[in-house]
Amino acid sequence: MISQILGIVMLVYLLVGILFLMAELWSSDRLENGGRIMLWLGLGIQTGALLGRWWESYHLALGHSPTAALAEKLQLIIIQVPLSNFYESLIFFAWCLPALGLLAFRRHLKGYLGALVALLSTLLLAYASFGVDSRIRPLMPALKSNWLLIHVVTAFLGYAAFALAFGTAILYLLQERRPRPSLPPLPLLDSLIYRTTVLGFLLLTLGIATGAVWAETAWGRYWSWDPKETWSLITWFIYAALLHARHLKGWHGRRIAWLAVLGFMAVLFTYFGVSFLLTGLHSYLT
Amino acid sequence: MSATRIHLKPKSWLWGTLTSIRLTVFLLLILAAVAVIGTVVPQNQPPTQYFSRFGEVWGELLWRGGFTRVYFSPWFLGPISLLAVNILACVVHGLPQAVKRALQPLTAETGLTLPERGQITWASGVDPHPLVSATLSRELGRYRSETLPGREIYLLERGRFRPVGPYLIHVALLLILAGALIGKFWGVDGQLSIDQGEVAGAFQVGPRVEQPLNFQVRLDKFQVFYYEPGGSPKEFRSDLTFIKDGREVSRATCRVNEPVSFGGLTFYQSSYGSQATGPIRLKVQLGDLTQSIEAPFRRVVELPGGRGQVIPMKVDGDFQGYGPAVLLAFSPGSGHPEVFWILKDHPELGEQPGPYRFTVESITLGYYSVFQVKHDPGVGWVYAGFLLFLPGLYLAFFRPVERWALVLAKTPQGTWQGRLLGASPRYREEFAARQERLLMELKRGTPS
Repeated sequence: MISQILGIVMLVYLLVGILFLMAELWSSDRLENGGRIMLWLGLGIQTGALLGRWWESYHLALGHSPTAALAEKLQLIIIQVPLSNFYESLIFFAWCLPALGLLAFRRHLKGYLGALVALLSTLLLAYASFGVDSRIRPLMPALKSNWLLIHVVTAFLGYAAFALAFGTAILYLLQERRPRPSLPPLPLLDSLIYRTTVLGFLLLTLGIATGAVWAETAWGRYWSWDPKETWSLITWFIYAALLHARHLKGWHGRRIAWLAVLGFMAVLFTYFGVSFLLTGLHSYLT
Repeated sequence: MSATRIHLKPKSWLWGTLTSIRLTVFLLLILAAVAVIGTVVPQNQPPTQYFSRFGEVWGELLWRGGFTRVYFSPWFLGPISLLAVNILACVVHGLPQAVKRALQPLTAETGLTLPERGQITWASGVDPHPLVSATLSRELGRYRSETLPGREIYLLERGRFRPVGPYLIHVALLLILAGALIGKFWGVDGQLSIDQGEVAGAFQVGPRVEQPLNFQVRLDKFQVFYYEPGGSPKEFRSDLTFIKDGREVSRATCRVNEPVSFGGLTFYQSSYGSQATGPIRLKVQLGDLTQSIEAPFRRVVELPGGRGQVIPMKVDGDFQGYGPAVLLAFSPGSGHPEVFWILKDHPELGEQPGPYRFTVESITLGYYSVFQVKHDPGVGWVYAGFLLFLPGLYLAFFRPVERWALVLAKTPQGTWQGRLLGASPRYREEFAARQERLLMELKRGTPS
């Protein structure tokens, strides 16, 4: 049932992408407003679907370990947050993109930029629904922790912010190569890259710090040079370099945009590459 | 921190380099590249592993070059130490000035040097003071006012502590690095493996290196719980008793995500296993012949009828939730040996190669549990770093900085005139919006 609803959300986001593109091509305010409304609608339905899965997952867990105490129920709700496998991470990532996009870009989330965000979410949902096991599984002992919620939420919001920075950087590089009046002007794109990178950097730092605290309580080590940890640190290094490079002469604009692209490659590797190509403590795919 | 430094003359080439952001960017990118090597080349493997995987030449190069322990080699430690020096130099260089600026409130003198953003002239007979103070406090909160000869000046500012933000972040990083060093030099880290029912008085801190405990710990019971038979594990649980000077001092349950502390050390559930503590009794069937045999753990037993040998390789106290099981290696006189599990309580599960058919009559087995044991005095430093990082990031990136001054003076005609001055180094959009709002509010009641 929830997978079907997510299928509808996928179509809504696809429609949003098309509406934003058409609005740009025909400079139509009406289409743009339509796209904006549909985006809010999609986000709303997806939020409902995520909460629904959370509820379902909680009830399954309650079946495995019945309890009547309120404190234990609350604890169960926290650890049963639907963020414990690859499928759930994909659909949460797909939720983060438009949510964070509306927050970081505000009225600039339209046209090509808006279409990019909506289509990225469509892609993620499509991948989740066609290629990934969507069953709810009982939690393995290592994931039974209150840190799961905050660690995964901050990490994925961070990934999403970097995805937005990446999309903006691509537009920047296109705009710089062949200026187009329909694209946002360069200084605006530059400041949007910066804004999203700062947001992503804050969230990634929180993700790494909460992960370290969790690792300390679960494994007795806040840092083990596990591939996922290492790649998140590599990502952190690249974005730290970007934030510092903005202060350097001659590093404005294009080089910053390229660093945002490079950083997002590292994000993708941290998310997908580590899981598929390297093994380690974060192997929760199967 | 950059903007202020560019105007200062560097004291020397060395100091100039150490405090430069160019060096920071360079080091960060180098560190990212070196860290990648450590995820591509498997780490901490025996040398033979590298020779067989990368060939003689490359294997030798990786091994001798320190790339097989890259995070503890000069390739990583060098740049990260230099980065620490870089950060420290920047903090020493800029922190005092940032603190001084943060402690200095906006003065009338500085306020008057801010760029002018607009002018308001009120009608004669109108006293703008109530309007000004109401508008300013609604828009920006508390303000100060000073009376200068012939004019009055209202001063407001937000984000005065912003310049300290970047330094908080960098001090936080130094705390984290210091915590890592403290843990490395003054911390203890090892493994403790105890059989169920046994008492341990020492733990392993390296290959064949033991460290004694000044107390004893007993594993009373180890249990694995499954969500359902054949399902995934739900919980690993070790019941421990700590014994000091022959007396039982405390009992505790250690689970994954729920470590136990005693005597300055913390115990983390790390892994477990089971082993046979006595012989295994098997029923062996060959055609109509049925015989009971006793098979010692990991010893070769000749089978009745002479058609092969069998070795109990492994035992499991609860094989995937189906109860006790034995992993047998059966070797028929000729041909390859076959390895298979037989379950005591579910003889119907699992395939056997034949011609023999085995069932388990009894296994005497015991669990053992493995704990990560450690004491790390650096953890507090690392956590302090994490905590300091957050207000630092907030101040540096999310705290808007605005400074405003409103100067009120009487014109020779006797009417009041106001000049709005203000500046914001960033956040131009928010600043412009506020400027518009302020001017609109203040102009109410003026002849337009």
